[in-house]
Amino acid sequence: MADAGIIAIGAGVAIGSAALATAWAQKTIGAAAVGAAAENEKMFGKGLIYMVLPETIVLFGLVIAFLLWTKM
Amino acid sequence: MFKPQEMTRTLLLGAKQDLEHTIELLHSLDIVHIIDFKAPDADQTLHLGAPTIKASGVSQHLLKVRSSAQLLQLNTENQKISQKHSEKQVQQDIALQIQDMEQNIQSLMEAKTRLEEHFRKLDERIRQLEPFASMDIPLEDYQGYGHLLVFTGYVRDLKKLTDTLPTLTPDYELFTSGAEDQMIGLFIVKHHGEDAHKLLNDCGFTEVKLPEGTGLPKQFIEKWTEQKKELSEKLLQTTKDILECRKRYAEFIFASEEYLTIEVQKAEAPVLFGTTEHSFLIDCWIPTQQLPHVTETIEKELNGALYIQQVTSTHDDEPPTLLKNPKPVRRFEYLLELYSLPNYRDIDPSFLLSFIFPLFFGLMIGDIGYGILLILFGVLFMKLFKESEGFTNIGWYIIIAGIFSSIFGLFLFGDMFGLPFMLTHAAEGEAAYSWSSLLGIHIPIPSIIHKMESLGMTQLLVISIIAGSLHLGLGLLIGFFVERKHNKKHAITKIGLLMVLIALALLIFVMADWTIGQWIKPLRGTAVEPLLWGTLIPLVKSGISLGGLIVPYITLVFGILGILIIMVVAGGFGLVEVLEITSHLMSYTRLAAICVAKAAMAFAFNMIGLGLILSGNILIGILGVILLIFMQLMVFALGALSSGIQAVRLHYVEFFMKFYKGEGLRFNPFGYKRKYTSTE
Repeated sequence: MADAGIIAIGAGVAIGSAALATAWAQKTIGAAAVGAAAENEKMFGKGLIYMVLPETIVLFGLVIAFLLWTKM
Repeated sequence: MFKPQEMTRTLLLGAKQDLEHTIELLHSLDIVHIIDFKAPDADQTLHLGAPTIKASGVSQHLLKVRSSAQLLQLNTENQKISQKHSEKQVQQDIALQIQDMEQNIQSLMEAKTRLEEHFRKLDERIRQLEPFASMDIPLEDYQGYGHLLVFTGYVRDLKKLTDTLPTLTPDYELFTSGAEDQMIGLFIVKHHGEDAHKLLNDCGFTEVKLPEGTGLPKQFIEKWTEQKKELSEKLLQTTKDILECRKRYAEFIFASEEYLTIEVQKAEAPVLFGTTEHSFLIDCWIPTQQLPHVTETIEKELNGALYIQQVTSTHDDEPPTLLKNPKPVRRFEYLLELYSLPNYRDIDPSFLLSFIFPLFFGLMIGDIGYGILLILFGVLFMKLFKESEGFTNIGWYIIIAGIFSSIFGLFLFGDMFGLPFMLTHAAEGEAAYSWSSLLGIHIPIPSIIHKMESLGMTQLLVISIIAGSLHLGLGLLIGFFVERKHNKKHAITKIGLLMVLIALALLIFVMADWTIGQWIKPLRGTAVEPLLWGTLIPLVKSGISLGGLIVPYITLVFGILGILIIMVVAGGFGLVEVLEITSHLMSYTRLAAICVAKAAMAFAFNMIGLGLILSGNILIGILGVILLIFMQLMVFALGALSSGIQAVRLHYVEFFMKFYKGEGLRFNPFGYKRKYTSTE
């Protein structure tokens, strides 16, 4: 049971820290992308891509959390 | 469908006397994309053409029409008119009416501005006089004293002023308005002026400057108010006249603006051509399919006066992009162009986008309730924004995604608004609801995948990886086909990456053996059984054990071979691409992540809402209904937004990066889409 608790905490840390990292990256990119799109509407598509790029980081966290969870 | 329309570079050569006729003809054809002429440095004989003689006259007329349209606040785009005007008629009308129209509109506008200015001035003067009106002292009495100082303005504390003033001096006179704003006029002997000023400041005095003039303010105000009334009547009449004028000239303005724009376009066209003293040269792109028609028409109309030469295009050429897709797919060109217009040499992915995008979108929502809401929302969106092309397209995507979502909800997940239709076994939560248990009737729609159970989540992750492998594999294959002619190195790298992708996918499939094994079970006993269980499965499954994880030989072979190919072709830097493809494959797990996250949110809200509704207390029940509707709408909005964005992203980032270059030049034929005029 103690193991399960530790695993659960591990899973939480994995996804939580990955989500924080994503948010941090998106904060900067998002601000710049909105600025660029405001100046030139054609930048919207490109801005969106840059904006969502870091989202993969949180998915790595999710996958690890999930793999850990199946071990519980 | 998968390539932009083929273009042929064509040179048209003719004598200058045929120039105007040629321009007319090309304009009416509306299918020739003219390339801006750039004189080769060495060639001194060819020059840039000059606009025709009528250019300046037509431009001036156009300027007049546009300024009139602006003055009348007429938007010349997308207006409805009774019938199309014939070009000849418009031409005559312009000659007859344009001067009159301009004068009429200008004089009306000037009159309006004059009246407004007068009105504003009167208003300003009344505003200045108003504070003095209630004191009934002629304006001249406030000034011109040798021994008296006069203060006029508002005080906040009138009582303090009236109480303290007598202690300063008895030689003063104070007039007050009696109104709430406490306007005062204080006449006081000069040598007490400073004390009075101090006192006034203490009482919160704000000075109001005396307006110029003589006489009783009240009388003036009455007079001016009367004048203002007359003015506003006149103003109303002028505005009515302007509206009348707007109505009278609207159609004329629309038609003549269009006609003159076309004329200017034609008159300035030679600027795009190369010319010598007696001849001209037009360099253009014509869709190859239309070429015979175009050549034939030119030959016929100009009696062979134009020399037509087709040029073989080189790799340096930048042909314009004209996409050709069936109508339902054409709506997805907008989504593609939001990223970038395809390059002429690109594969046009609109068709793939048109069903994979809604498929992913629908899978992430995966609920019949939200699916139907999406369809309704999409229809509403298209109705509300039918003027905007972009928004109607988005509405269309939402509808298609809604259909996919409903299909997934009905046949795969068996749920509506986050609630399953039936519970096949005891659910993991302590209080589980289903539509069958809530409505008390058995609804035989099973959930093949339970989003809220660990097995279901694993299955969804496996589905995501399968979707990702297929999607990325398709992207790499297209990339190979695009690159094989232009850049052999890139093409071979794509093959290497494809091998790495297969290796990765197989490794994951072996890891998820128990999930996939379950799905392919129904295939046992069919014709493919010997192939699957006899050859393929043992081949994929055999491998070496690394720390408890079985790595199939086939993965090792494909992986090592792929990496070797990449390293040989692209060098050590190619390894970055190997890492990239791995992260891209993982990126598809967002399909599962969003699907589960949305389901979990709906599950939690349903537990809260239904708990309240079924509590037995009517008031709490009503509160529960309101809360549940609100929470469900929130799940719907958040789910639809994130699913849409993530589905777009999987295309823009993961898929397009494998083959798509974009930054195409839009095919812009020399011509005009007439709305208000016709040539007949």
